[in-house]
Amino acid sequence: MESSSSSLSSPPEFDYLFKLLLIGDSGVGKSSLLLSFTSDTFEDLSPTIGVDFKVKHVTVGGKKLKLAIWDTAGQERFRTLTSSYYRGAQGIIMVYDVTRRETFTNLSDIWAKEIDLYSTNQDCIKMLVGNKFDKDSERTVSKKEGIDFAREYGCLFIECSAKTRVNVEQCFEELVLKILETPSLLAEGSSGVKKNIFKQKPLESDASTSSCC
Amino acid sequence: MSSSSSILTPAQKYAAGALFGLALHQAQIHQTRPLGFPSVDDDDGRSSDERVSSGSSSDSVSEDPQLWVHESSCLLRPIFKFLEIDNKAWSGLEETSGCSPPKHHVGAFLRLLAEESGGMPSEAVDKEHALANGVDAMASSMERNSVDDESKKEKHREYKNACQEKFSSAEIVSKTKQEEEKVPDNSPKEISHKQSITEQVHIQASFEFDEKQLEEVSYPRKVAVLYELLSACLADIPGDDKKCTRQRKGYDARHRVALRLLAAWFNVKWIKLEAMETMVACSAMALLKEEESKEETQSPKTSWAKWKRGGIIGAAALTGGTLMAITGGLAAPAIAAGFGALAPTLGTIIPVIGASGFAAVATAAGSVAGSVAVAASFGAAGAGLTGSKMARRIGDVDEFEFKAIGENHNQGLLAVEILVSGFVFEKEDFVRPWEVQHDNLERYALQWESKNLISVSTAIQDWLTSRLAMEMMKRGAMMTVLSSLLTALAWPAALLTLTDFIDSKWAIAVDRSDKAGKLLAEVLLKGLQGHRPVTLVGFSLGARVIFSCLQILAESENSAGLVERVVLLGAPIAIKDMNWEATRKVVAGRFVNAYSTNDWILGIAFRANLLTQGLAGIQPVEVPGIENVDVTSIIDGHSSYLWSTQEILEQLELDTYYPIFSPPAFKT
Repeated sequence: MESSSSSLSSPPEFDYLFKLLLIGDSGVGKSSLLLSFTSDTFEDLSPTIGVDFKVKHVTVGGKKLKLAIWDTAGQERFRTLTSSYYRGAQGIIMVYDVTRRETFTNLSDIWAKEIDLYSTNQDCIKMLVGNKFDKDSERTVSKKEGIDFAREYGCLFIECSAKTRVNVEQCFEELVLKILETPSLLAEGSSGVKKNIFKQKPLESDASTSSCC
Repeated sequence: MSSSSSILTPAQKYAAGALFGLALHQAQIHQTRPLGFPSVDDDDGRSSDERVSSGSSSDSVSEDPQLWVHESSCLLRPIFKFLEIDNKAWSGLEETSGCSPPKHHVGAFLRLLAEESGGMPSEAVDKEHALANGVDAMASSMERNSVDDESKKEKHREYKNACQEKFSSAEIVSKTKQEEEKVPDNSPKEISHKQSITEQVHIQASFEFDEKQLEEVSYPRKVAVLYELLSACLADIPGDDKKCTRQRKGYDARHRVALRLLAAWFNVKWIKLEAMETMVACSAMALLKEEESKEETQSPKTSWAKWKRGGIIGAAALTGGTLMAITGGLAAPAIAAGFGALAPTLGTIIPVIGASGFAAVATAAGSVAGSVAVAASFGAAGAGLTGSKMARRIGDVDEFEFKAIGENHNQGLLAVEILVSGFVFEKEDFVRPWEVQHDNLERYALQWESKNLISVSTAIQDWLTSRLAMEMMKRGAMMTVLSSLLTALAWPAALLTLTDFIDSKWAIAVDRSDKAGKLLAEVLLKGLQGHRPVTLVGFSLGARVIFSCLQILAESENSAGLVERVVLLGAPIAIKDMNWEATRKVVAGRFVNAYSTNDWILGIAFRANLLTQGLAGIQPVEVPGIENVDVTSIIDGHSSYLWSTQEILEQLELDTYYPIFSPPAFKT
């Protein structure tokens, strides 16, 4: 998976644009995972406020892709906020911390339900990610449990570490490959339907409407 | 300022910033797609795949510097900074503002605002209430004095009658004839249609998000949020971003439009925001004045340097063409006068809003230094516009002068209105059509080229009363004039006499109006209006002045945040071959073109354009984002703009965010 320079480069040329979403409890490492993926760095981060947004251009399977990745706050108080970001996402990454069991159980108790409730894409690809697997000694959630969960909810599964960057690239690559295999998601993400309200021609307003206000 | 000095919690500030961003982006969208028109975001149909893709496949904000929410436009980030939102969250907020339909997010952010009340210290709650009470008190004190208003209206009625008697008899003849003939444009059906559109817009506005979530947010909280955002808009925070393309300081028109939309979302009356504007301005001025006097005693030089930094001198002392008779030396006393005039205002403010209210105001306004821009805007303003007489002949324009209207100058109003007459018979006509106050703006009338305007107006009037024309109108010929002009059929012979008579004068006046527009643009670009958002209203050739001004602004850099609203009435401007789209972009808020389909004088005077290119004063301008208002039922003839402008403005309800033209109310 090669990656090109990030967002501010001149005219974006890409075949598909995918919207990805990171969810999960506070402190499981969503922002770290994203940072590790987009800028190959790892640092201690304060809790995310609201939502964060990053863009990364990658080439997968010969296709140029633009990934718009939304990183949401896990904190309870922001939950009302994050619900509105499920809309239109082609891929949703559920993250838990392999050393904190409650973050895993909350996935089925809370987060999976949130997806059912708010996601607008029937076919959207879900992925289960067990983060912090470098701390193998403190592990409280086994790989087997993760696999079982993934099977039950019909999602992909991987364990990774944002800190050591093991499996981080693979995590996103697998998800993207799966999206590429799904025709309905592909149709949405193709740059053909890309629209920008300030560039496209404005709608024709019929004369009767426009003449009076 | 530290976060403890603010009324809002960090999460609430985050939500406030996000809502402001959403409003700002919506305001930009509404520039070209006003509410009430079919738009892609409107339908709630789940089936449309537009819905699904709208969130995911639009371009990222970071790649489109044209967007107001983009970093380089420097409209959003300073606000975030003032609100002390963690800069890690900025890109997420920008993207959220720019990417998706707001109705998906507004509700969520509102809920975030409503939450946490339980955890708030009671002190903050008290402050919130004090602030809200203060704003309410201020707003009610700003409600116009009805007695005064009545007397002004009476005066206006007199003026109207006098004018009608003098000028319109000839035109009215044709008008009545026309009505007898039942011209379809004038049918009541139109009006009822208008009504339904207005309703539709209101419904649409309220459908943008769930009403329930709005109710969850308490009124004091809404006021606190708006107040904080307003302070942020006015504050002048030293920016360290080099990408920033916005150099101008002061109150950006785009900010004001976004606040207006936000107030509409919040269901808070606009007058409350105007009250807040005055409160912020006055408290900032007071604090600044204090600091100023302190500094003056220490070293006058540094204070002078500080003023320079504040941008006042840069704004007031004109260089280059020495266009206006203001020099650095003249500006300084003017600034001092501005301060002096303001001090009593502050004295009246405290009793109105109460001491605790004022404390809350001061806290919410944040740091003293943060608000320099407001005060700077203000100081230069008083003398800025009225003092800007022509120093010498520039580009053939002999006369160009601002006249203050009303008594509310130098009282902390943060928006300016410039009113331009364009069909005048005496010098008074530059001012009198505007004398009835319909809003809380600092108002100035532009007096320009009176000699030429009076001569062309009188020429038209003379011709109208000439025997030939009278005869023709008696025979009901005039009502067919416009249609024959429009269809380029045969011209009545009498028209040809008109052409000799008026054409040369008209041509000069048109030329002058374009040049006056250029001057107006220069005045605005130099910030003589005190770096405050401007509303431009003009009729006849005055509308042309405004349009020409907008054209210049569209070509200049850094002009996007100057003009807030524009109303053109009976404008002699061609529709084709004129860059309406570009001029639309420099107007942050509403852009109204009021036309009258039976304004045949305008049609004749401007017939060359009318035939080939269309004419804005007679026909709707089919450019997205321009509100076309048919005022045929109010306007009897071109000269009736002199006395009917007020009525039209009232019906436009300019202070409403959404396009409105309320059908004529029944008056006796």
